[in-house]
Amino acid sequence: MRDYRTDYEDCLRRVQKPARYIGNEFGSVHKDKTDDMMSFAFCFPDVYEVGMSHLGMKILYHMLNEREDTVCERVFAPWDDMEKLMRERDIPLLSMESCAPVREFDIVGFTLQYEMSYSNVVNMLDLAGIPLRTRERGAGDPFVCCGGPCAYHAEPLAELVDFFILGEGEEVNGEIMDEYKKWCGSGKSRDDFLMSLVALGGIYVPKFYDVEFSDDNTIKRFEPNRPGVPKQVRKRIILDFDKCYAPEKLIVPFMETVHDRIMLELFRGCIRGCRFCQAGYIYRPVRERSVDRLCGIADGCIKNTGYEEMSLSSLSTSDYRELQELIDRLLGMTVDKRINLSLPSLRVDNFSMELMEKVQKVKKSGLTFAPEAGTQRLRDVINKNVIESDLIRTSRIAFGGGYNRIKLYFMLGLPTETYDDVKGIADLAKKVIDEGFFSIPPEERKGRSVSITVSTSFFVPKPFTPFQWEPQNLISEMEDKARFLKENIRSKKIVYNWHNSDISLLEAVFAKGDRRLSEVLITAHELGCKFDGWTDFFDYEKWLEAFRINNIDPAFYANRRIPYDEILPWDYADIGVPKSYLIKEHKRAYEEKTTPDCREKCGGCGAASFGGGVCFE
Amino acid sequence: MSKRRLVFSKTGMAKYISHLDLLRCFTRSIMRAELPAVYSQGFNPHMKMTFSLPLSVGVTSSCECVDIEFERGVSDGEIMKRLNSALPPDIRIISVRDPNISANDIFGAEYRLTLLCGGAGENAPKAAGEFFALPEVKIIKRTKKKGEREVNLMDFVLGAEAPKVTDEGIELYITLSAGGQKNLKPEIAAEALIKYLTENADIRVTGYNIHRTKILCDINDPKIFK
Repeated sequence: MRDYRTDYEDCLRRVQKPARYIGNEFGSVHKDKTDDMMSFAFCFPDVYEVGMSHLGMKILYHMLNEREDTVCERVFAPWDDMEKLMRERDIPLLSMESCAPVREFDIVGFTLQYEMSYSNVVNMLDLAGIPLRTRERGAGDPFVCCGGPCAYHAEPLAELVDFFILGEGEEVNGEIMDEYKKWCGSGKSRDDFLMSLVALGGIYVPKFYDVEFSDDNTIKRFEPNRPGVPKQVRKRIILDFDKCYAPEKLIVPFMETVHDRIMLELFRGCIRGCRFCQAGYIYRPVRERSVDRLCGIADGCIKNTGYEEMSLSSLSTSDYRELQELIDRLLGMTVDKRINLSLPSLRVDNFSMELMEKVQKVKKSGLTFAPEAGTQRLRDVINKNVIESDLIRTSRIAFGGGYNRIKLYFMLGLPTETYDDVKGIADLAKKVIDEGFFSIPPEERKGRSVSITVSTSFFVPKPFTPFQWEPQNLISEMEDKARFLKENIRSKKIVYNWHNSDISLLEAVFAKGDRRLSEVLITAHELGCKFDGWTDFFDYEKWLEAFRINNIDPAFYANRRIPYDEILPWDYADIGVPKSYLIKEHKRAYEEKTTPDCREKCGGCGAASFGGGVCFE
Repeated sequence: MSKRRLVFSKTGMAKYISHLDLLRCFTRSIMRAELPAVYSQGFNPHMKMTFSLPLSVGVTSSCECVDIEFERGVSDGEIMKRLNSALPPDIRIISVRDPNISANDIFGAEYRLTLLCGGAGENAPKAAGEFFALPEVKIIKRTKKKGEREVNLMDFVLGAEAPKVTDEGIELYITLSAGGQKNLKPEIAAEALIKYLTENADIRVTGYNIHRTKILCDINDPKIFK
């Protein structure tokens, strides 16, 4: 086998940011692979500094490497300059740790964090020299699998991926390796291995399902095509989150990554049930870690990483029941070491002065709140239980406490939205300044002025949410709304940013797409689409071309209202929350009725069937 | 409180770590080693740490120096032991000492150039000799302050040894101006030499490695800076 090290290293002289490719960071795991060991290539379909910010990868990488029979190595998408050199010199996609070709690994796993990374999955398979379509793979080729939040509805990748892992990988990944060990050298077929995975539960093998389409392009039939394959695959989760593996020896990158800090995962799931939020449904039920366990993990991470910042990670930090106690204990561990504690995902409704003062002890950082919609009516529709007076009160506390910049996040294009709701965003931002800042007597103000940044993204209807049947606004409608909002923001103290509307459309298409989109992805890859999450690469025209070539109308997926009784491309996945509950919530949205959070009153979403978490607190 | 000078090597893939990344790497390694570093005062306190002479990305070294202040008396042996177990494998502390020579006195650095050209280097010693005897070789020098300008490479070359022919190519030691007053990145000299060898001695160089071997100080009475 050719040793690519010298050639690869020579490329590094000629690229921007060579530190993306060097590996050998403190904490990286280097094993001598012997013939009886299995190998897993953990691929993140984006550039190094994005992938290395991802907590899930850190957990699963270290967990697999704790097995003596398994080598897990990391793989990232090379940036454009590096890819060009690699292709010129005939260097395939290589792993970070041993510079081994990815196609030589037994299992190649991608984590799907966002739909706009799908073109990178295709590009990485191509660069690795792995046949793109599952039907083209055979003996000697690796198995390609995907996990992560998008794996629940990744039919657009169905033709390219051998199996999907639904749910949390902490348990099932080890079981997959056990099955691989049994299969390897048994003389059984690739399908036999995949069938053994199906038996584990939580594994979806797209080729074991036949999908028939009607003339109107809707799905006519979606059925297993062999005995022993369930009609629906139920996700796998870890019930006892305290016992769940958490790495304390993390890789500490040389270069600055997007989230370059210790991430302490307080809990999984969210009690809130915002109706647009996929994470709020797919991670149910909420499962917390105890303060003791968290402090133990934090202590290990502090000692083993040397990081100067620790961030509390969860979908809604202020919903952690023992937050006060946790923060007190963590401050005791961090202040003397000059470690900054940061608390993202705070809600405005229970934000307190005391909490803010505490985290300020080390370093003051900016504040971000996400009211998501500009009017109470629309916030009720989406079940975002944020009240205007809370936001104003909180802003006053924050400005009074010396913060001078607040970021506000909103969505445009939410179901039932009117121009009054859009204008409501401008009004709310203005109120935050007028009532939050100018109501403070001048002699008590800290700093002369304040600024508000309003950011909007366009609503993308997501599978497994009550809004999954909703059409997305047309690009023209989205742009009209953004323009209208801009015209209505007149204060110089408010800066307005909005996200690209073309990307939002594609996100909707690939979030809700079916397996006919696999060929669109391959065509788009051939046309040169990659790094679609990066505005410097995203090329909408190329995507439209790829849809045209495959005779597919993106509006069918993004802009169509889907009837409740239609078969959805993601119906095969059972997240624990049945469709009937989502329909009920969808109807309540139109009645502008909110639904209480899980701790206030059980909504009967079905997640209690897992037998743990918040449902049994 | 005492300021210590740490002499360290930067080898392997660590040569691609930039100056800023190296600073961060040391800071975090000191945290992991639980060594009592002194922090600066002010709004954004940071460890008091000064690198004596920056190293170009892509160049390895066995003579880098960084001055770090520590709170109380930790022995030099302890600093070295604890830091070496906390640093990534490609960065190693070689010695810890009193910083009795000021980095302002640095005037030059010696580099080992390895030009890869297989076994086809037999004409190289003669050609390299001719190259370093040239009175003027024009190169483009880029600096943040002065921008791009054309200078004579030979004004920066303080010495060059005759190349040794090896199996993989040619190896030679050159000494270049370095430090605050007058400085030249070694890759600029290497590339000028490669260009000359290609054009005048028909030697095809496929790649090169540069390794810093010595930092020199005190121009009137040259000695090794450490």
